[in-house]
Amino acid sequence: MELFVIFASSILINNFVLYYFLGICPFLGVSKKIDAAFSMGVAVTFVMALTAVVSWAINHWILIPYKLEYLQIVAFILVIASLVQLVEMFIRKTSPPLYQAMGIYLPLITVNCCIMGLALLASLKEYNFPETVVFGVGAGIGFTIAIVLMAAIREELEMADVPETLKGAGIALIVTGIIALAFLGFSGMIK
Amino acid sequence: MSLSRRMVIVLTSIGIISGALLMAVNLLTKDRIAYNKQKEIEGAIIRVIPGTRASQKIYEEKDFTVYQGEDDQGNLLGFAINTAAAGFQDKILYIFGLNTQLTRINSLYVLGQKETPGLGAKISDQRAFLQFWESKDCDQPLSLRKPAVEKEQLASSEVNTVTGATVSSRAVLTSVNLALEKIKKLKEEGKINIEGGHGG
Amino acid sequence: MAGRNLWQEFTKGLWLDNPVSRQLLGMCSTLAISNAVINGIAMGLAVSFVLICSSLLVSLVRRIVPNQVRIASYIVIVASFVTIADRFLAAFFPPISKALGPYVPLIVVNCIILGRAEAFASKNSVGRALIDAVGMSAGYIIALLILSSVREILGSGTILGYRVLGTWFEPWIIMILPPGAFITLGILIALAFQIERKVKQRR
Repeated sequence: MELFVIFASSILINNFVLYYFLGICPFLGVSKKIDAAFSMGVAVTFVMALTAVVSWAINHWILIPYKLEYLQIVAFILVIASLVQLVEMFIRKTSPPLYQAMGIYLPLITVNCCIMGLALLASLKEYNFPETVVFGVGAGIGFTIAIVLMAAIREELEMADVPETLKGAGIALIVTGIIALAFLGFSGMIK
Repeated sequence: MSLSRRMVIVLTSIGIISGALLMAVNLLTKDRIAYNKQKEIEGAIIRVIPGTRASQKIYEEKDFTVYQGEDDQGNLLGFAINTAAAGFQDKILYIFGLNTQLTRINSLYVLGQKETPGLGAKISDQRAFLQFWESKDCDQPLSLRKPAVEKEQLASSEVNTVTGATVSSRAVLTSVNLALEKIKKLKEEGKINIEGGHGG
Repeated sequence: MAGRNLWQEFTKGLWLDNPVSRQLLGMCSTLAISNAVINGIAMGLAVSFVLICSSLLVSLVRRIVPNQVRIASYIVIVASFVTIADRFLAAFFPPISKALGPYVPLIVVNCIILGRAEAFASKNSVGRALIDAVGMSAGYIIALLILSSVREILGSGTILGYRVLGTWFEPWIIMILPPGAFITLGILIALAFQIERKVKQRR
């Protein structure tokens, strides 16, 4: 039951984009079209799941036993950068069409705060292994939902009459704020 | 020098230099950081077990740590439980003090929370919430009084709810009752010695 | 980029190329901690520290580091300085460290730092890289100050903890919460855009 709570709350209540403010750059940059957004979401969720596993392993088998917690930041970011590189190479070799569809987003994921945020938060909250994985997958799904929602709205906005000054980042952020407002309603849902 | 050799040398050097630098920074700061953490907990324990001069951690598991407070003669003054409640948004970290017989709560103090500002966040406030936790009987589980009444009108095992923050108030109350059950069980199992000192 | 004198190198970070309002970088940290001015200042200084030190170092080693490993090298350099900033804050300013929380380590993925390292520091002399970093930092701090002031005044009625609006003002709690952050930043960016347009029109 506890695992389900972590899973559900990382999607709705503590949504990585709308509550933790992570992943804003790709969120704004890739949310113009629904399929692009969805591909990015899937790529992110996949990398999140992998990162959850590897970062937990490194944290608990190397950093903590040898009292190297201060190397967490360096270790995590190197792990993430390498993972993304490996995933990109793997996809390129095994499935060119898949690479065409979402491969270009992969390098962007390295600096996606979501991934690093996941590793750091899971470590901060001292989640055990299953909790970390569930947290990671949930966070990725939460990101996907947020970015697809955003893309759906922005596709509509293209046809609306937005004042010149608000076009682009202005209206995107305001819309994000309204979505975040709506998501606030999920707080307290899980007792 | 071939390219791959240069790549390896550069990467390794950067790795070694940064490793050394970080190790130095860690050595310089880790004591201070540990001290800060210690200070925070000790300060909280002194607040909830008045008169404490020395404290010891006597039991620990995730999100549930028990300390005992002693005066300068080494007499046991009471226990403090540092635990967490499942709040509205995130965990509420708090600590509360008990007398040696585990029959009375001295007071409660919230260490960290991310509740809604202006509403749930009021649980950190002395006037709005914390004062109602002073000198409470905890032989029986505590209960919430809603709507809030004057402090004198509360029964000895009742605590006022913060107006507009029922969820946060209830979260703390449920957590306190659970913690009380737990510590009483630990006492029965001999893990906590109310004469002072550790048990099993 | 050619022909910019040193003064222009510095000022571009303040307005024309402001990392927050024009380049739209580093928004994760900006939004997260701008709910109080003191947090904004602390984060601004932390980011400045990392940005300036990293840019300096990246520029220093730009001729030694082979192209293929430059991103990895820059990452290690930035991550090291972020760790230093994080440890320093935890040791000497614990309440600020607590308030900023995981967002200090997150500076390592702050696009501003890696972005400047890649786009500028790795291609320019140490002197220019330093000035660019200082300019970008100043621009970042200014943006953070504006954003966090608006949020703190409207959301708590205070600045740096001091009441500035009388008790007649019922704080707009939403300002301290995530939606308030997004909306305020959106409006500020739109405002910056509008000002820029007006200036261009007048020329």
